[in-house]
Amino acid sequence: MDEQGRGLSETVWTRLDRKAGAIVELTIRQLRHRISTWVVLGVGMLLMVMLLAFYIDAIREDFDAIDNDGDSEDPDGDGYPIGQENMYGTDNYNEFSYPGYPNFIFESDIDWNDQPRTHTGNHTWVSVVGYFTPTWINYDPPIWDQWSKTVAWNDVEDCSDENSDFDSNLRWETACIFDNGTYLMYGIGFTAEGTLEVPDQYSASWGRLTDYVEIEPHPASMYIDEDDIDWDFKLGTSSQGFDDDGDCLKIGWIDSQGNPIQANMDQNRNGIPCDVIWTVNDLGEIISIRADSSVDEDPDDSKILGESSHRTFIIGTGKIAFVMILGLFLPLFLALGLIRDETENGTLHYLLSKPIHRVEFILYRLLGYMALVGAFVIIMVFMMALVTSVIGPGDDLIRLGDFPVWLGIAFATILVLAAYGAVFNTLGLISPKYGVYICILFGVWEFLMGLFTITIPNATIPVLSVSHWAIQMIDAVVLIVWPDTLQYQEMSSAFNLDTGLSWFWHPPVHTLQTGNPVVALIVSVTLLLAVTVLMVGMGQAVFRNREIM
Amino acid sequence: MSTDTKIPTVLMENTSKWYDQVIGLNDVSLAIDGGVTGILGPNGAGKSTLFKLLVGRLKPSQGSVRLFGIDPWKDTSPYRRIGYVSESERLYDWMTAQDFVSTLARLHGMTRDEANERTEHVLGFVGLHDVRHKEIGKYSKGMRQRVKIAHALVHDPDLIILDEPLHGCDPIARTSIMNVIRELGSQGKTVLVSSHILEEIERITEQIVILHNGRLLALGNLHAIRGLLDKHPHRIMLTTDEPRKLASAFIGEKPIYGVRFPDEGKLEIQTNNLSEAHSVLPRVIVESKIAVSSIDNPDDNLESLLGYLVGGDT
Repeated sequence: MDEQGRGLSETVWTRLDRKAGAIVELTIRQLRHRISTWVVLGVGMLLMVMLLAFYIDAIREDFDAIDNDGDSEDPDGDGYPIGQENMYGTDNYNEFSYPGYPNFIFESDIDWNDQPRTHTGNHTWVSVVGYFTPTWINYDPPIWDQWSKTVAWNDVEDCSDENSDFDSNLRWETACIFDNGTYLMYGIGFTAEGTLEVPDQYSASWGRLTDYVEIEPHPASMYIDEDDIDWDFKLGTSSQGFDDDGDCLKIGWIDSQGNPIQANMDQNRNGIPCDVIWTVNDLGEIISIRADSSVDEDPDDSKILGESSHRTFIIGTGKIAFVMILGLFLPLFLALGLIRDETENGTLHYLLSKPIHRVEFILYRLLGYMALVGAFVIIMVFMMALVTSVIGPGDDLIRLGDFPVWLGIAFATILVLAAYGAVFNTLGLISPKYGVYICILFGVWEFLMGLFTITIPNATIPVLSVSHWAIQMIDAVVLIVWPDTLQYQEMSSAFNLDTGLSWFWHPPVHTLQTGNPVVALIVSVTLLLAVTVLMVGMGQAVFRNREIM
Repeated sequence: MSTDTKIPTVLMENTSKWYDQVIGLNDVSLAIDGGVTGILGPNGAGKSTLFKLLVGRLKPSQGSVRLFGIDPWKDTSPYRRIGYVSESERLYDWMTAQDFVSTLARLHGMTRDEANERTEHVLGFVGLHDVRHKEIGKYSKGMRQRVKIAHALVHDPDLIILDEPLHGCDPIARTSIMNVIRELGSQGKTVLVSSHILEEIERITEQIVILHNGRLLALGNLHAIRGLLDKHPHRIMLTTDEPRKLASAFIGEKPIYGVRFPDEGKLEIQTNNLSEAHSVLPRVIVESKIAVSSIDNPDDNLESLLGYLVGGDT
């Protein structure tokens, strides 16, 4: 026992622990007593709550089924969706053209210079200019996809002297009748039997109408999410995909004249009609997806779009909100003054006149700061993880699979907070007066480099920033936890699905040529720790020889 | 000061400290061991610089500083045995005295319980036990000084350094702090107290170091230094209604060689032996039956002491 009654079992280490504990505790209490701490933490929390509100709002709209290929719509209002009209070759933008309805089949015509210029028969006549003497008239023809207006039989005027000639004032798309029962037709259509005489320079066409067949319109929902992405998760280059809705193969489809359609079915030129080529490397990473047109083009949205959007939100939140915003602002407000403020307040000597090495002192101060911001980040991450995993897409009550990614985000943010904390504290020590300005400049640089890293991950210059490595970490964690993110990303571009995943996420770059995300994770963590250690060391070197005035 | 061969508690050898062009301390050599030593000097004399060098806040520009034989700039181990009260008024105002002192106690490696126990004890010692759970921000100046002293004593140090501990304190706080310092001295600890007021130091200790413009002017027993001063021309100021009549009563008294009438109702007598003059003074006044309302020694202060020591320049 020494003079202060301490036992022999007491070691240097237990004493170190006590000192560390005291400084860590003091630092946390000091930070807690500053308003700026609460302001910056409050703003950080507000940011997260706003992001959650945005997420909840977006998830309601986005994860509803979306008609990605637009074939459930009915722009002409005839009651038949585009997908169904396409099968029958009817016009999507003409309400008189729809499946089963009479279709005009062209047979012949008298052109402006054809000979002879008369024709007798029972036809449906269209765009007729000439004299027609009927033997039978269908006064109630079916409505069809007219080429021209049809004669309103009960409202035909007598041909007066002045409109008995084509050069007269007779209006286009009208008809009149002579006393002998012959009609003068001026650019109009009708169904009748008789003889038509077409004057020189004018023309007329005729054909037949198909029979009306009642075809039940398909519900629009039949054309939503009707062609899901088919992939058997096999490795290697292979033909995948199946044209679930038949709009690539077009079997049994007819054109407007009733003839079978010959489809162009092999845009990816592998000799297999209506398929998708998935190219996968040895690691199971999808290199490319090439689809024949109209194959797998309207996938299950809650499965594909919902999942992609959900992941995009988590990745974007992790990279921008946590790493780049919290990562920069928390240390700017809380770490910059860890030692500088003590110097300015004239209270540093209380701490430094105790038997603590200054090198230890910096370390314990940073630990105190890390305890506070680390706890805050973990709480924020947990809050985000809980809410998004409960309301996110999928059948599970809670998406437990998201949690490792959130954990990775928390880890990356904590490493960034340590690195920036060390940088800012050191800058505050080197230049107590201008440190804050240097820190803001540094922060702007880090933010820009972060944005560059997100968009162009293999650019060279961002390697010099801290944020680059934290974003790499998140990219790597995402690929480790959700290896199929690559597939979602490729699918988004192959099938033109707008999810933002391709913008917010890229496979990690720094895998040392192995392509293994674990390597990228280790490289990133090592570099972040190295920056932290280097900056703490620099701060200690500066502080060790600093006189306390 | 001890005369044996053991390592002195405080040792400075030809120590100088410059702040850019300004000299803070100029070629000071001293050794201090045991008891209370007063560091006297006007503002800017180098008292705080000397203390900051001792506690390792500053690095000497020249010469060496040793505490218990160790360089405090390079090695923190002497800090275990030092209690330092700086001249800074700043404290963590949001903390209670108990919190503040115990937190700092833990930096000595004490457990939380040990620290709390020691803190209660030391706050009792400086007379703050009853208010120890009040925030320091609500303390008076004298109480704040005592908190600072408490934090310096919490680990029971062997060397206690107090930079202007009485500065700005009211008389009651002053007396209580002086008692604490004397008590520490009587416990055999080495105590360094700085002040720019001679009277304060006189009430605490006889062992003094006098600094002026960064130089060590004198080192030793205050009375011995004063004795030297007494043998030199000195003034005593008397306030009376009849200065001229009283002046005539002093004529012929041996230690007094002259009188002046500087103001209405004032008599200045000049002597070259202060203690002898003080011994004849009461008798002469009583015999003359003239009422004297006050007796002042205008030269009995630090300025005149310094003036004498530096050769009458001040």
